[in-house]
Amino acid sequence: MIRLSDVTYSYPRGTAPALSDLSLEIPAGQFCAVIGANGAGKTTLCATLAGFVPHFYRGDLSGDVTVAGINLPLSSPAEIAGTVGLVFSNPFNQITGARFSVREEVAFGLENMAVPVAEMESRIEEILRFVGLEGLADRSPFALSGGQQQRLAIASVLVMRPKVIVLDEPTSQLDPVGSREVFTVLRDLAAADDATVFLAEQKLEWVAAFADRVIVLHQGRLVADGLPAEILASPDLERYGLEPTRYTQAARAAQAAGLRHADAPLPVTLEQAVEFFS
Amino acid sequence: MSGRYGLYVERQTEIHRLHPLTKLVYVLACLLVGWLIPGAWSPYFVLLIGIVPVALAGGVLPQVFRNTVKTVAPFALSLFIIQGLFWTGGTVVQQLGPFSLKAEGLWFAVRGTGRILVAVSGFLFLNYTTRSDELMLALSQKGLPNSISYVVLSTIQIVPRFQQKANTILDAQRSRGLETEGSFLVRTRALLPMVLPLLLGSIVDIDERAIALEVRAFGRQGPRTSLLTLRDTAGQRGARWLMALAVVVVIGWRLWLWLAPRFAA
Amino acid sequence: MNLIIDDVSFTYPAGAEALRGISLHISEGEAVAIVGENGAGKTTLVKHFNGLLKPTRGRVTVGDWDTRTQSVARMAARVGYVFQNPDDQIVERTVADEVAFGPRRLGQSEADVAANSAAALAMVELSEEAQTHPYDLSAPQRKLVTLASVLAMRTPIVIFDEPTMGQDARGVALIGAIIEELKREKRTVIIITHDIDFCAAHFERVVAMADGRVLIDGPAADVLTRADLLATTNVEPPQLIRLAQALGLSAAPLTIDGLIANLQGQ
Repeated sequence: MIRLSDVTYSYPRGTAPALSDLSLEIPAGQFCAVIGANGAGKTTLCATLAGFVPHFYRGDLSGDVTVAGINLPLSSPAEIAGTVGLVFSNPFNQITGARFSVREEVAFGLENMAVPVAEMESRIEEILRFVGLEGLADRSPFALSGGQQQRLAIASVLVMRPKVIVLDEPTSQLDPVGSREVFTVLRDLAAADDATVFLAEQKLEWVAAFADRVIVLHQGRLVADGLPAEILASPDLERYGLEPTRYTQAARAAQAAGLRHADAPLPVTLEQAVEFFS
Repeated sequence: MSGRYGLYVERQTEIHRLHPLTKLVYVLACLLVGWLIPGAWSPYFVLLIGIVPVALAGGVLPQVFRNTVKTVAPFALSLFIIQGLFWTGGTVVQQLGPFSLKAEGLWFAVRGTGRILVAVSGFLFLNYTTRSDELMLALSQKGLPNSISYVVLSTIQIVPRFQQKANTILDAQRSRGLETEGSFLVRTRALLPMVLPLLLGSIVDIDERAIALEVRAFGRQGPRTSLLTLRDTAGQRGARWLMALAVVVVIGWRLWLWLAPRFAA
Repeated sequence: MNLIIDDVSFTYPAGAEALRGISLHISEGEAVAIVGENGAGKTTLVKHFNGLLKPTRGRVTVGDWDTRTQSVARMAARVGYVFQNPDDQIVERTVADEVAFGPRRLGQSEADVAANSAAALAMVELSEEAQTHPYDLSAPQRKLVTLASVLAMRTPIVIFDEPTMGQDARGVALIGAIIEELKREKRTVIIITHDIDFCAAHFERVVAMADGRVLIDGPAADVLTRADLLATTNVEPPQLIRLAQALGLSAAPLTIDGLIANLQGQ
């Protein structure tokens, strides 16, 4: 579904490449999370998967980027929209501002794609129920909380039925309630298995909870790729500017203090930690 | 830009139910007719016969009246003073010390004020009785580019946020010791540091907004559908043509009035 | 310099009652975290500390100053406030000038301005970017610039509004180190944060707010264990306390060493 081959990209005024020799294959329906320090290239990678690198940002891109069979660098943004969706961290900037109700806001993308009105209405009802906003369909988008606005942004993109949805730190500006609301939607997305989900995230305990696969970026390079249980418990995380969850840290400290077996696999979630310490 | 839909005042009148273009054409017709028919009092005639009844029928006459007067009063005052006192030549109506009040100047001001009144009250009537998104949709259906429609609508909703942002920026600078209370000079100087954050912050946001729009296929060429539907009737369509025709007739008449003496001589 | 909030109530001009009878006594050198759901009144309360808002009833005193008798600009000599969005605060074209903005407004001598700015930039590890235009930096770096610009003002009281939002592990560690340094200098540190793990790691006192009132105010080790109470204002206990409670441990560890010590004790 997603294939990158030897992708190297530099921003127009960049001194060093933002992405170097990146090769990655993500099968359809997978939920893949990318983690890494700020500046490692997570946002650039998300922009590349959505076609905004190089179309929007210019710069030099080499290598192949193919998503759902479309060669992104050779396609126009209009061709890409509808196949790949992008959600980023600032909920306010994703509201078009040109529509006065939640329902009409969600319709915006479908209108641009010339979807017939009857089909539009049913798709909108369905997606609002999926993200839990059905009671707010007539509210103004600006009268929603941050978490609700972010769910609106996700709904507005999902309603277009993209094959791939890319989310760039969607909860970084949200409070815990808003974060939980968004992660619940993402968990349901992962379970539904229709779309391929690519998520850049700093909150490792959430990544541990439902990503199928975790990749690590460091200075523009792909340095690790595997299951959450392996990657998030790896001792290499610190080297890449990341800090494991406190569950993992506590387990490691317990092993160092001789309270637990040095061979036991380290936990990355609360449930695993309870098991580890019991 | 107070309410959720901008200036729109929510009511259930026949006027509100009219197609947006009908109201737009009507207001433009009033404007042109009031402008073109000769005589200093003709704009007031149009105001009374054309604007007041429809505003009344739309249940927005008090708002139209109040806000028209508020907007036009300062302009009208300066018009009367400047044209009345500084009209070159002409008949003196009243001597006020070194200044002479001229009749022609006053009549000019009367006519000018009348035209502005028609324009402002017409604009307000249109906006109070028509949702801006419905008006933009109607215009898009007639060929208005989507980018213009987007700019108009998003401005209505985003400008109030801009004001909030400006206040927050000012608070942030006061919290760093920028004095804003005191003399006029102090307060004006305090505004200078605000320009950069307001501008640059907005530019940073514009990048993200543009991307968000592209993601929603805004850049796609070709026809679009709309969740919103507009009710139009054959009667209204006919009325719009008639109004356009009436304007053409008035333009023709005015041209004839202007040209005829040259042919006669 | 003590910060005393004496039975403060505040109603916005538009009519919303945001604070209802809040009384807090924050002593010099305390590190206090204010937590609670959005709309609880955290930011409204904190804006009273430097006079951006004046109470509708009650009063706020910073040392011997009643906030109602001073302009906000004068209060800035005693209370520094790092706003949540750095782009609302940055006004200068170089990082160095930006960091010097506050100290200059406060009337520090040019020598002090230079010294304090350099020290503040070093604390946020951005000394190399002194001549860079702030908007050429990333958003998290701009946040660190605004942090430095308030640190350079060397106020006895410093308020942070969501400082770790958008920061990676290194950024969070850096901000944690800065807070510990401020505590060593006996400066009063007040934070509004949703990052409850960060709160547990650095703040001895936690004030949870709900609905314009103080829900609970006490030592972190005590407040952060009250899971049910905190849940009413959308606050979850930190990871270590959740683990300890799930394991049925008696004590509430705020640090990993604390957890290990607890387990060893068993």
